[in-house]
Amino acid sequence: MLSTAFRARPVVFRNTSAFVRNSSSAHGQETFESFTERYVEFFKSAQDLFEVQRGLNNCFAHDLVPAPAVCEAALRAARRVDDYATAVRIFEGIKEKVENQKQYQAYLEELKPVREELGIETKDELYTS
Amino acid sequence: MQALRLARTTRVTPLRVRALTTAAPSVASGSSSSTSASVIPLSNVEAQWEKMSSEEQLAVHQQLEAIQKKDWKELSIDEKKAAYYVAFGPHGPRAPINPPGSGVKIAFGTFALIATSGLIYYGVRQLGGPPPKTMTREWQEASNERAKEQKINPISGISSEGYSGKGFVQSK
Repeated sequence: MLSTAFRARPVVFRNTSAFVRNSSSAHGQETFESFTERYVEFFKSAQDLFEVQRGLNNCFAHDLVPAPAVCEAALRAARRVDDYATAVRIFEGIKEKVENQKQYQAYLEELKPVREELGIETKDELYTS
Repeated sequence: MQALRLARTTRVTPLRVRALTTAAPSVASGSSSSTSASVIPLSNVEAQWEKMSSEEQLAVHQQLEAIQKKDWKELSIDEKKAAYYVAFGPHGPRAPINPPGSGVKIAFGTFALIATSGLIYYGVRQLGGPPPKTMTREWQEASNERAKEQKINPISGISSEGYSGKGFVQSK
C-alpha cells in the first residue's frame, strides 16, 4: 500500500543546473509493464471490497486497457473478498476500454481459464441465458 | 409482508447508515424483517428492489453476502443476477436519467409543436383581411408608368437611361 504510493511518484530529484527549467518533462514516465506489475501487486494485497474497487477505479482510469494479468489478479481479488458483482463488473470495464469487439473477444478468450475456474459469467451471459 | 413493502418509498442511502437511522421507529418490525430475510425470493429482486423497504433491502444484501461466500460455480443464475443487480443495477445513482422510450416521446412532442405553430400561423392568416389593392401587378405597372412620366430618379433609378430593373413591380 505504502510502497505503491511511493512508486507512483516521480522518483528522481535530478541535479539540474540553474538554467534548466524543471517543468512537466521531469515527471517520471511509468511503462506499461511496471503499471501492470504495480496493479497485479496491488490486487494481490487488496484485502477488502473497498480496496479492490478503488484499485479498479484507478487502473481503469488510465488511457490504456489493463493487461490480462491485471484483470486476472482483480478477478481473484474479487473472489477473495467474495463479491461476485465486482467480478462481473470488471468485464464490463474491459468492454468499455477496448477499441472494438474483437479485442474484447480476445480478452474473454485470454481470461477464460480464470472465468471457468471461478465461475464468472459476463453481464451479457447473465442476461441472455 | 406486502403492506410492509408498500409502507414507505425507499431512497438509496448507504446501508450501514440506513440500518442505524431506521432502527429507532421500528424495533418491533426489526425482528420480523430478520425473519422475513429468508422469505424474500432472490429470483424477483430486480422487480421488487425499488419498492422494498430499507430493512428488506438490508436483509437481501446480507442474504446475498452470505450466498457469494459460496463457490460461485454453485450459484444459480438468479442469485448471480440478484447479486449483480443489487450492486450495479440501474437503481439509485445508476438509474437512467431518461426512461426508455423517451426519445420517441421527445421527437413526437417536437413535431407536434411544429405542427401546432404552423396551424396557428395559417389560422391567423385566415383571420386577416385581403392584401391591399396596391399589391397587384397592374397597379404596380401603372405606378411605373406614372414614375417615368414624372421622371422620378433620373440619374440612377427608374427614369434613367438604360434602366433594366423592375421599378415598383413586386407582385407576381
